Amino acid sequence: MSETISSQPFSRRSLLKGMAALSAAAVAANALAACAPAGAPAAAPAAEGASPLQGTVGDEMRGKSLELSLAVIAGWPPSQLPIEMFPSFAAAVKEKYGYDVTVRKTEAPFAALFQRVAPTLAAKSQEFNLIVSDSQWLGALAEPGWIIKADDVYAVNPELDLEPFSSLVVNTYQVYPDGSGQRWGFPQMPDTQGLFIRKDLVEDPAEQAAFEAKYGTKLPSTYDEFAELTIQEYEPIFEFFNRPDQEFYGTAAQYSKEYDFFSCAYHPYVYATGGDIWDPATGNVVGMLNTDANAAQLEYFRSLTQYMPPGYSDFTIGSMIDLFTQGKVFSAFNWLAVGLFMISPELEGKVMAVPHPKFIFPDGEKKVIGAMGGQPWVINAFNDDDHMRVCIDFLKWWYQDDTQEEFVSKGGLPWSKKGVEAEGFEESKPYTRAFKYMLEEGRSRDFWHLPEYAELLAVQQEAYSAFASGQVNDPKRVLDYIAGRQQQILFDKGRTQTAPPAELLDLTLS
Amino acid sequence: MRSVHPGQPSADPMLLARRSPLRTFEESRFFSFTLLLPILIFFVALNVIPTLWMIGMSFYNYSLMSPAPPTFLGVDNFVKIYNDSDLWSAFGRTFVFVVLAVGLETTLGVLLGFLFWGSSNMPGRRLALTLLFVPMVVTPVASGLFWRLIYEPTFGVANYLLQQLSGQKIDFLTNIDWAFGAVLFVDIWMWTPFMILMTLAALGSVPKAELEAAEVDRLTAWQRLWHVIWPHGKFILMLGILLRTIDAYKTTDLVFLMTNGGPGNITELIALKLYRYAFASLNIGFSSALAVILLLIAIAFTSIYLWVLHLRRYREGV
Amino acid sequence: MQPSRTRTTVYYSLLWLVALLFFLPVFWILMASFKTPDDILAVPPRFLFQPTVDNIVSMLTRPNTIPYFINSLFLSILSVTLALAVSFLAAYTLSRYKFRATNFLMFLILSTRMVPAAALVVPIFQMYNAFQWRNQFGVLMLYTMFSIPFSLWILKGFIDGVSQRYDETGFVNGASRLHVMFRVVLPQVRPGLIAAFIFNLIFVWNEFLLNFILGGPGTQMIPYALAVGLTDSGGNVDWAFVASLSTGYVLLPTLMIFFFQKYLLVGMTFGTVRGEV
Repeated sequence: MSETISSQPFSRRSLLKGMAALSAAAVAANALAACAPAGAPAAAPAAEGASPLQGTVGDEMRGKSLELSLAVIAGWPPSQLPIEMFPSFAAAVKEKYGYDVTVRKTEAPFAALFQRVAPTLAAKSQEFNLIVSDSQWLGALAEPGWIIKADDVYAVNPELDLEPFSSLVVNTYQVYPDGSGQRWGFPQMPDTQGLFIRKDLVEDPAEQAAFEAKYGTKLPSTYDEFAELTIQEYEPIFEFFNRPDQEFYGTAAQYSKEYDFFSCAYHPYVYATGGDIWDPATGNVVGMLNTDANAAQLEYFRSLTQYMPPGYSDFTIGSMIDLFTQGKVFSAFNWLAVGLFMISPELEGKVMAVPHPKFIFPDGEKKVIGAMGGQPWVINAFNDDDHMRVCIDFLKWWYQDDTQEEFVSKGGLPWSKKGVEAEGFEESKPYTRAFKYMLEEGRSRDFWHLPEYAELLAVQQEAYSAFASGQVNDPKRVLDYIAGRQQQILFDKGRTQTAPPAELLDLTLS
Repeated sequence: MRSVHPGQPSADPMLLARRSPLRTFEESRFFSFTLLLPILIFFVALNVIPTLWMIGMSFYNYSLMSPAPPTFLGVDNFVKIYNDSDLWSAFGRTFVFVVLAVGLETTLGVLLGFLFWGSSNMPGRRLALTLLFVPMVVTPVASGLFWRLIYEPTFGVANYLLQQLSGQKIDFLTNIDWAFGAVLFVDIWMWTPFMILMTLAALGSVPKAELEAAEVDRLTAWQRLWHVIWPHGKFILMLGILLRTIDAYKTTDLVFLMTNGGPGNITELIALKLYRYAFASLNIGFSSALAVILLLIAIAFTSIYLWVLHLRRYREGV
Repeated sequence: MQPSRTRTTVYYSLLWLVALLFFLPVFWILMASFKTPDDILAVPPRFLFQPTVDNIVSMLTRPNTIPYFINSLFLSILSVTLALAVSFLAAYTLSRYKFRATNFLMFLILSTRMVPAAALVVPIFQMYNAFQWRNQFGVLMLYTMFSIPFSLWILKGFIDGVSQRYDETGFVNGASRLHVMFRVVLPQVRPGLIAAFIFNLIFVWNEFLLNFILGGPGTQMIPYALAVGLTDSGGNVDWAFVASLSTGYVLLPTLMIFFFQKYLLVGMTFGTVRGEV
């Protein structure tokens, strides 16, 4: 279907006519950028003999003064902590290696950050030296060669290669392509899903009595009791606390079109069918996503909105925080990483976070596979040697025990075996126990890390949002619509050999 | 291009004799080009070249996310757009949005413009007009966000008032029956003042003498409107309508921040779609093709616009 | 026939009511900027509250607010001024020398403002990367370019309205063309310059998309700060910040439409109306 430029002399000439000046300039500038002062990317040895990927080893940085540019996610607390803690890094390297470093922060909300960062990397710019990337961007960043391979860094800095708590950490934040074992990212903040519950209400004897009178069973009140409940068993509890006349509702979950919000909230329901949203082996979406079982789950997921406040189809991470802290909901599905912010001063001691509700899987087992959240660090491959060294120095500092401890005490979450299994971690915050539970083998899963992530995501978020809001009411049609279009995107990129059936492509949302 | 020097003074031999080199240059035919040079540089560098680049790219399979070099596709991108039912519906939605927004803004603006006509002795008129015009100078980012809060079903003031009046709440931005209207309402709030302004301008262009003559002739209000006001005012009013049409067609910031095109695709306007293809997917080839189509539509608007201006020139014999 | 006093009062009250209705949502933002975050989200909404300046203080002390504000001022004023200078030269030329291609050129230049910004951003982004222009200079040039079409149209409209007899008189008296341009014609089109200035300033002042995508360090303006800083540390929208920053930011254009009201009107009509309305 497509031919290369050189095999099309005619078109090439006509194009060149219009663009000669510009393309010449572009080539020149790219060439310039490529051989910019010490701009050799990757593991090329530096003039001093030590690879910049080793970080600072001796006196090579002494007396220098530079600025490290970090791109982080706006409004996402775990992303802000490195900036907040940066001065102690600067002090440490000043003492150890004798250079001065300041930090520049660029931030944008989740979806927008990629739109902000990717074009600069495409331009081979070192505008951002170290980036907090979302886990699904790994492919988009790794495939064009925009970021440093973590394996190369580990090779010269074995001390950075900490033992992870579970394979989920490696598979979510590090490896691309899935299953290849090649690592690109450095875990920054791991994250899993949970349910935040108003402990004060479930422990209230009056509520307990009323619940028992109405349903004939005891109202669960402890972590252990809640952790074993399936989503179906949660329903009476949501229903019980759902009091719209008092503007108080049973629960809240994320149905927003924004970024990946609906998808992450819904995916555990897909995994509960024993299936997946696509087949990573064949690259097929059709036949994997648009099954009747997934359609039934989609319908079920939407039916939970009967226990939710109005406006649920626009619920985001932030809405969960607003509704929960303003005392409008009994419970809220949210990322455990924002735990600190779900517990406002007024709710101190009144909140408990439990793992994502369970499901009965087709094999009869009662368990849950949640969606993975969280972000890795990635290092710009176009950093010059000095900035590369500082990035590595920074990571070395970041993964020190005392830095990690400070990070965790400020609301961050650990990912290494040592950090998660540390004495007293589970009890340290109301949400850490659920977090550890969900991070164990097989209890959470991340989705695509493909370069086509943004396109694939946009398709399904729009369609899911159409379903959440009732623009389309047939769940099968929604999944068919998504499957057809995603299959087309993957087929165009050669990730699957199967073209989507034409009838799926003709579907619309209205 | 040839240039003609108008109004050349009758040559004064004394003046000619004292000509400085600058003066000679000023009189030369290159001078006019020199004056045009800066604008042409801007225009060519930041407009012609990017546009040509864009047109060129629209024939390529070119993604910033792929390490592979661009490959020539011919008109495949255009065929893909033609076959994409989503894009068609986005165009349709944008068309409805433009027609409704401009139609309602014009109607309201003209009515209110007439209302404000003749209020020149009103106490605090300048302040009142300033308050009236503020909606159009608020950063769209800010107004988009704030309307989100106003519409919010739990915390928003609109729903609070609605509940007091009717006893129920409406999820304006997430309800499929209301979302489009809610966005439209904000656009109308922002831009009706502009149409009021244009109406005032149109009315201001009617010569006072003709209005007074109409008074003397005891024309009815309708006759005055049709025979005196309309012939003078219609051009500026048309201008306002066209400017609004073009702006409504470009609406991005407002929907981007208010609804993100949702719920579903109910407020997904074409300019927002283009933004997604260009910057979420970095699919330069495809987004360039879409941009070329938008450019052609825009040129059609511009032509209508110029056609209107030409009518005016023609009529005035300029 | 003198309309009765009551009728006038009712009429003026009605006009005020219309103006206030349009202003109401802005007033709500204004009020929010003096409320505590809890008051902003209070149900039922608080119409009476204990005003606080905390939001404004915290907004101003955020590290980026003042620099971004300076960026906004610097970029919008300089780019519009530059656009006016360039456009004045061109407008005079196109008005006085009758080129055959004048109409076509005017059409082409205007058409640049008719395309959604996202369409041109892609090629400009690539070009800027190639030339390393993603800095203050580049953004300044871009805003200048975007301010040129309307400036040119407004100024040409005005210069067309200045009779050529002024030029001729000048030449007869031995004035040079530059003298005529700057000393004879320029003072007469001052309203046009002000109109074009306000009109374009409002556009540049509020521009977000180009700024977001193209802006590098040192070029980010307040709308960018609003869009990325709107979430507070918990991921929810920080309404107090959004309110106080929006209020502060709308102040300048509001003052401009108050003090230069008649020019605003003139600008909107490309110089076709020059009188008081």
